[in-house]
Amino acid sequence: MTYVEIPLWRLAIAVLLVGVAVLLSRLSRLALEKDLGLGAIRAAVQLIAIGYALRLLFAAEHPVAVFAVLAAMWVVAAWTSSRRAKHGPPSRVLFPYALAAIGVGAFVALVPVFVFVMPPRPWFEARYVIPIGGMMLSSAMNVVAQIFERLFASSRAEAATLEQYLALGATPEQAFAPYVKAALRAALIPTINGLVTVGLVSLPGMMTGQILSGTAPEQAVRYQLVVMYQLVAVAAVAGVLASTFARRLVFTRDAQLR
Amino acid sequence: MTVVRDGVRIVDGASVSVSPASILTIQGASGSGKSTMLRAIATLIPMSEGTILFEGREVHELGITEYRRRVAYVPQLPAMFEGDVAENLRAGPRFRGAVLGRAEVIALIERVGLDADLLGREASELSGGERLRVALARALANEPRVLLLDEPTAALDPAAANVVLDLVLTLAESGTAILAVTHSVEHAARLGGTRYRMTSGVLSVGEASP
Repeated sequence: MTYVEIPLWRLAIAVLLVGVAVLLSRLSRLALEKDLGLGAIRAAVQLIAIGYALRLLFAAEHPVAVFAVLAAMWVVAAWTSSRRAKHGPPSRVLFPYALAAIGVGAFVALVPVFVFVMPPRPWFEARYVIPIGGMMLSSAMNVVAQIFERLFASSRAEAATLEQYLALGATPEQAFAPYVKAALRAALIPTINGLVTVGLVSLPGMMTGQILSGTAPEQAVRYQLVVMYQLVAVAAVAGVLASTFARRLVFTRDAQLR
Repeated sequence: MTVVRDGVRIVDGASVSVSPASILTIQGASGSGKSTMLRAIATLIPMSEGTILFEGREVHELGITEYRRRVAYVPQLPAMFEGDVAENLRAGPRFRGAVLGRAEVIALIERVGLDADLLGREASELSGGERLRVALARALANEPRVLLLDEPTAALDPAAANVVLDLVLTLAESGTAILAVTHSVEHAARLGGTRYRMTSGVLSVGEASP
């Protein structure tokens, strides 16, 4: 592979860029210096750690190790998205629902692609499964967190309207439909915007990375396209599931607001 | 029926029955449990004990959405749905897959004493009295047999309150059973019919002392 190696001392030079932001934050009194500093340190620690972890993982090439890592990412994603909703049920109640929505969303996007589109050799090859699995899980996490946040907030803010719908004989599905529609649209729009503007406004990170490390651009582009199509499926599946779960948590079996 | 919340018996063993073309009022101070009882009859909150029978059938046997179509509930400050007044009136029938025509919508709005010109107005821009009457018309669109009214006049000025009281009397005459909750002795007297009072969740027959 042909790429410029980055020794640690050169990486340290890049840290100066965060220094620029810290300086501007101080001059403009944004009070973000601490967040910027902590963020930069966290990013470095987490990424360096995952770098070495991936190295071990690639060296081991064992399905159990690969799936253990995926499972850990899945759990963290579900935990994070169930903690974001301010108005809804406590995170321990949301967690299993987030786990299901994220899991099914990622599964639907990953399995057909690894079976038919870019089959890794061996089938559990960490170099493919971990980064692409991670992208799907994190996208599902964001969609689920957004759907939960929006729907639980609406159920609180629009309680009087929802109750009037129910009183007029609406089923919970009917009463909740306008809010679900709005939440799903909002969750899907960034993904759709990504599809529409890719190549015009942004060169996606994965494609850029592959090109930097020497992959032929036309192949890098195909990988990127596959990932973007996967992201669409993830957002749709995880979003629809999360909104179904949210509805069950907002209404009782007797079609009453909880 | 009994409704317990956080260990407090908000409604304590109350029992009422309403028949077609009759009015029943429940009077009581705020916090006496009368609104909670009405909301429980509307099946919008769960009961801790008790049953609701509609024409001899238990709510779940009838189906909860079907029951709510037949037993309409109008709160004191009804929320208006997004869109104009006509869309608000069409909401109930739309939930069961029916579409109200222009003539039916006009008939509904006129039935509550409002002008058909109002149909194109944004519902959120209406005054309190107009909102209540639109909410009544919206409930009537389902052709309910029973109307549950929670403090129908409390948020209205005397003129608007009178219009609503007259309207309720007319609805009762045309066959609808009315169960109205009010803290106003005067308005309960205007509606007449059977009068109950509620004190600390306990329902009893008779007028409340003013």
